[in-house]
Amino acid sequence: MSDEGTNQQQQAVEEMELEEVGEAELGDSSDEVVIAVAPAFGDQGKKQTMLGIPHAAILREIFAGIEEEELKPRLIRVWRSADLAFIGLDAAKLSGSGIAISIQSRGTTLIHQRDLLPLTPLELFPQAPNLDLSAYRHIGKNAAQYAKGDSPSPVPQTNDPMSRPMWQAIAAVFHIREAEFVKQEKPVELKVNFEK
Amino acid sequence: MQAEEREAGNKTEAKRHKRFEVLENREVNKDGFLKEWPEVGLIAMGSPEDPEPSIKIEDGVITEMDGKSRDDFDPVDDFIARYALNNDIAEEMMALDAVEIARMIVDINVTRTRVLEVFSGLTPAKIAAVMDCMDVVEMMMGLRKMHARRTPSIQGHVTNVHDNPVQMVADAAEAGLYGFSELETTLGVVRYAPLAALALLVGGQTGRGGIITQDAVEEATELQLGLRGLTSYAETVSVYGTDGAFRDGDDTPWSKAFLASAYASRGIKMRFTSGTGAEVQMASAEGKSMLYLEIKCVMLSKGVGVQGLQNGSISAIGIPASMPSGIRAVLAENLVTTCMDLEVASGNDQSFSHSPYRRTARTLMQMLPGTDLIFSGYSTVPNYDNMFAGSNFDCDDHDDYLIIQRDLKIDGGLVPVDEQDVVAVRNKAAQALQAVFEELGLPQITDEEIEAATYAHGSKDMPERDKVQDIEAAEDMMERGVTGLDVVKALGEHGFEDVANNVLEMQKQRVSGDYLHTSAILSPDFKVVAAVNDVNDYQGPGTGYRLEGERWEKISNIRQALGPDDI
Repeated sequence: MSDEGTNQQQQAVEEMELEEVGEAELGDSSDEVVIAVAPAFGDQGKKQTMLGIPHAAILREIFAGIEEEELKPRLIRVWRSADLAFIGLDAAKLSGSGIAISIQSRGTTLIHQRDLLPLTPLELFPQAPNLDLSAYRHIGKNAAQYAKGDSPSPVPQTNDPMSRPMWQAIAAVFHIREAEFVKQEKPVELKVNFEK
Repeated sequence: MQAEEREAGNKTEAKRHKRFEVLENREVNKDGFLKEWPEVGLIAMGSPEDPEPSIKIEDGVITEMDGKSRDDFDPVDDFIARYALNNDIAEEMMALDAVEIARMIVDINVTRTRVLEVFSGLTPAKIAAVMDCMDVVEMMMGLRKMHARRTPSIQGHVTNVHDNPVQMVADAAEAGLYGFSELETTLGVVRYAPLAALALLVGGQTGRGGIITQDAVEEATELQLGLRGLTSYAETVSVYGTDGAFRDGDDTPWSKAFLASAYASRGIKMRFTSGTGAEVQMASAEGKSMLYLEIKCVMLSKGVGVQGLQNGSISAIGIPASMPSGIRAVLAENLVTTCMDLEVASGNDQSFSHSPYRRTARTLMQMLPGTDLIFSGYSTVPNYDNMFAGSNFDCDDHDDYLIIQRDLKIDGGLVPVDEQDVVAVRNKAAQALQAVFEELGLPQITDEEIEAATYAHGSKDMPERDKVQDIEAAEDMMERGVTGLDVVKALGEHGFEDVANNVLEMQKQRVSGDYLHTSAILSPDFKVVAAVNDVNDYQGPGTGYRLEGERWEKISNIRQALGPDDI
């Protein structure tokens, strides 16, 4: 398992191209999971998280996790907010299955469901510095299982009490920069091209 | 450009001084530090964008506050102007010099009551100006005089990484022996919340009667648990100093006020939470300093009418701590809270530094003066189990903390405990929860789990539970409408009569509501100790809270100290 993880890290894609293909519509397919990225994710700024994980690699892993469960990932960008909960809930409401994953540039992630309150997601991963690529894959997999109506065991989280002293101020700067890209526009559908 | 490159080149090639290499590996250098960036609000105190103090009152209505006319107020300004100032005296108080007000705070000959009166007529910018006149020693002097309840106390965190209720019940009971008066939990998986509330209730009341408990989860769930008598206070109702930050939280000052009333009207103690750095963390600081925005939160809380506030940066602490004068700003926000006659649960509750020196220095600011709740909270579990992402002190620091209390003759809220007493109370609490689970039809707690919980350092020593089953049972428990009284019955029927009585007492407290008074905690015999019957009357040496008598005996009597016969 850990060997496999290492291989994934080594082969991780570093680059991708994101292409906007119109307004994101309400999905009619119950076997999709929507992944919603925050305004600066993937093609603005540094294109990597606080830890330096390429955004492309993260998306690839989340896609893979969803596909392992034989469901379909659909990528959108939410423009109106840099707030993870609102991005996630907006996306869940557009998702055919009602399940969505939202992710910020710094790497913070959650799994949301359309009937929940904004700040009560199914699973929240508030400590981005503790997420590695295998965790992102697992998040994709769990989201897909929720979409199928299953109750997966939550993705295990490591709790590093020293994460805040090291990262919080830097995380704030990431978020301030992300918020600069917010605009009052509707979510857009994204086509992604992963490059090796 | 060329010069820069050359400089960078020289830097990498320069021969390293060995002392700097050693310094770089010190714990403190794992912390994050930033330079000020005032344009976005990355500044602890005194941003160039902070307004100048001013007030205009026409026909009893504030028409201008801090340079802004009423038409330009955002909802936070509006709320403060309507509800947080005493318009009858505001112009008079605003006319006082900031430095004069700062001196009144420090002066032992000026009463607490007089300072409260002055502060009732100050605007946010004026209060910021007052704080700017004070250094940390003066602020500590102020806190000593201004905190509302005379007797200091302490709140604890009880959490674990697997949300394991068996470990939680034992940890809560142990915390009771150490003297915590409030216990707070939160979850990795929110849907576990009902089981955590049960564990904290049963464990807390096994450790010592009268501990009040809360389940810090999403607001609707938290309220529901309180209404059912499974928790007895709430504090994670967050307020912010800008409208933008409020919107991010899907809220307004009015919605928070409504929520506060929902708790209080059902006999649940309630305080708000805020803290320096929260707005800038949400990219909504509008270029204002962290302290200025936090002062608005304190005033907003006062205006809402809640009895208290948890602040001291709280979960944003890494941000002010990265700034010059940041920890001073954190102390200032606690002081402002007390000057508004609110209970202060003064932070120290989140890890902010790798350095034991920085951690201690930061905590002494509240520990030495004493506050209503010096920590909000102290991690009663190892930090690897702390689901608030780590506290400034954890259970592995207990002896250090107890000895600092003894060294300085300071009451930090904790007392030394006997190891075998701890073992016994952990075991009893776990058995009590086993009985409650059985009676309420929740997933079984095995004897093996009880044994593990009795001696566990933390979750590493606990057998795993079936989480999916637990979560389903938790949802079912809420659907079935289980309440605190069901817990009383279950305990009673299984021979845990003392714990049953304590849980019943907690239900009665909710009906009488006396513990809704400012700064209220409950003594082990369920007597309310609050700012009404134990008001801080500090006026210099020989007054106020004094650590003496039986309490001092207890705190001095640490297990490590040898007597003549031991040598």
